[in-house]
Amino acid sequence: MAAVRSFSRRRSLLASLRLAVLTFLADPQWLVPSLIAPVIFGLVSYELFLGSSPWFVLYAILGAGMMSMWGQTLYGSGWATGQDRNLGTLEPTLSAPTPYLYVVLGRIIWNTVSGLLGGAIVFVVVALSYGKPVPLSNPLGFALLFVFVIVSLAAVGIVFSAAYVYTRYAGFIQNVGEFAFYVGTGCMFPVALLPFWSNPISLLFPPTWALDALRYVAIPGYHGLSWGLWGDLVGAVALTAVYLAIAGTVFSRVERHVLEVGNLGDY
Amino acid sequence: MLRPPAVKAKGLTRHFESRKGFFFSELTRTEALRGVDLEVAPGEIFGLLGPNGAGKTTLTKILSTLLLPSGGRAEVLGLDVTREALRLRPRIGLVLGGERGLYNRVSARENLRYFADLYGVPPEKRAARIDEVLTWVGLADAGDRRVEEFSRGMKQKLHLARGILHEPEMLFLDEPTIGLDPKSARETRKLVRSLVANGVTILLTTHYMFEAEELCQRIAVLSRGKIVARDTIAGLRRLVGGDRTIEVEDYGFEDLEVARLRRLPGVSRLFTEEFGPRLRCTLRVGTGELTEAQIRAALPGHAEMTVRERRTALEDIYLDLVEEEAK
Ligand SMILES: Nc1ncnc2c1ncn2[C@@H]1O[C@H](COP(=O)(O)OP(=O)(O)OP(=O)(O)O)[C@@H](O)[C@H]1O
Ligand SMILES: [Mg+2]
Repeated sequence: MAAVRSFSRRRSLLASLRLAVLTFLADPQWLVPSLIAPVIFGLVSYELFLGSSPWFVLYAILGAGMMSMWGQTLYGSGWATGQDRNLGTLEPTLSAPTPYLYVVLGRIIWNTVSGLLGGAIVFVVVALSYGKPVPLSNPLGFALLFVFVIVSLAAVGIVFSAAYVYTRYAGFIQNVGEFAFYVGTGCMFPVALLPFWSNPISLLFPPTWALDALRYVAIPGYHGLSWGLWGDLVGAVALTAVYLAIAGTVFSRVERHVLEVGNLGDY
Repeated sequence: MLRPPAVKAKGLTRHFESRKGFFFSELTRTEALRGVDLEVAPGEIFGLLGPNGAGKTTLTKILSTLLLPSGGRAEVLGLDVTREALRLRPRIGLVLGGERGLYNRVSARENLRYFADLYGVPPEKRAARIDEVLTWVGLADAGDRRVEEFSRGMKQKLHLARGILHEPEMLFLDEPTIGLDPKSARETRKLVRSLVANGVTILLTTHYMFEAEELCQRIAVLSRGKIVARDTIAGLRRLVGGDRTIEVEDYGFEDLEVARLRRLPGVSRLFTEEFGPRLRCTLRVGTGELTEAQIRAALPGHAEMTVRERRTALEDIYLDLVEEEAK
């Protein structure tokens, strides 16, 4: 009599990806962070570095692109889980037979894609304003590192999602994180210009290291974090691994924790 | 073939701790369940009644693996709700009343599709099954509309559709008809009956006594975290001492007269209520034990009083039980 069932992690992931795209398309508010914000970031950074060397233009593109990608990839991931809380969908989703982690991964894939779109828009806007092709000193290294930056962002995104499952106060944590990131990672300004105290916080985020490495590769003569390209790479890989490990173990624990505390329905 | 009980709970307890205030926070502890034993047979509709805050939702969530018990143990369909939750989940469905719990920005069909994937409805059957449940709950024409446009009742029906989408063997319904208009509520009850006819076991929470009376074979009354009665409706009638209820009403009775009524043969319970200038004595009486003539004879000074008799309703039983528990 029992019905045939076929649930799998892959199916959960794809279902969640599909729902993320549909929700995105259905909601005009996303146009601001995903399409308009990158244009503004691009224009502002172009104005800031007007008259600088072409390398500075690249620096600006990377910074503004990162801000846009951070917003989409990371903020989007946490936001979606926060939204599950607000809508009351966290309960039926968590009581499904597949772990919630795969739902989160599906969303992160979409957020990453839309984040990349933001990065691309910034590039086009700045390149068009600049009027000349933007140089790139090591295209292959750049491409590889770029992918890695995305992975490191996604890793942070998963951890933030877990925080949203854990508590309805996660928005507060994320806002602090976002501030630390914008200021601390040298998105807009070289890190060296920043007060010393802001560095330790931003160093907790793998994208800080990855972005710095990306600049070392792309911009000749760049001076970022004092340990240089290889130090950045080691730090970025290690931190990303830590975040992914945290995400993997934390998720099942968080799922159990919320069943113990019984705060799933809070919003 | 002997099937194991659909639900078997022993000594279930659950407490909540919550903090009030941010700086000088105060820890408050609520005992939501204080030792609940429950057994539900396969294929029955079991009703769970009780006042607000009695612990009905808490019990429902524990049995449907959405909440861990603080103590005790429970098995659903022979699987432990704590240790075997992942195996149990695809075989049970949960419908929590209310409007929350749906993705408002997308259509009803997309909501169902998402949950069909999560709950493992085979992909080749998915579309047909979604159509089937939408028709079943009466949303066939609204399937492609966004849920944010839905009325409260439509959302409620969509909840029900999601709950049965993956053909669960056991369904937990927590106030499934709350906020539904009479016609929709009736359709929902019809649906519940047809599910049971298909062999689904149902644990139903409701505040509507007639609903429980109409649907449930057996009922448990939960009060302040404990089951205070558990039986068939006929059994509960016996428990509160009588399937007849007699209401005697006039412009006031002396205390002495009320005491005289109470001592009449066959009266197991009596309580008084004021209705403006009139006073009503309600008596619970067993079958064939007391006649109107005997009542009139006991109160000679009240020629104008009205005496009405009706069958003891579940609502009467419920109020008796809950009142007794509160004492
Ligand atoms: N997440 C929670 N945190 C703190 N206390 C809770 C939580 N959930 C329930 N409670 C408390 O547990 C008790 C039982 O609640 P529950 O929701 O199970 O009652 P109920 O019988 O379903 O009531 P109702 O008829 O109003 O739906 C209540 O005192 C409630 O305040
Ligand atoms: Mg309730």
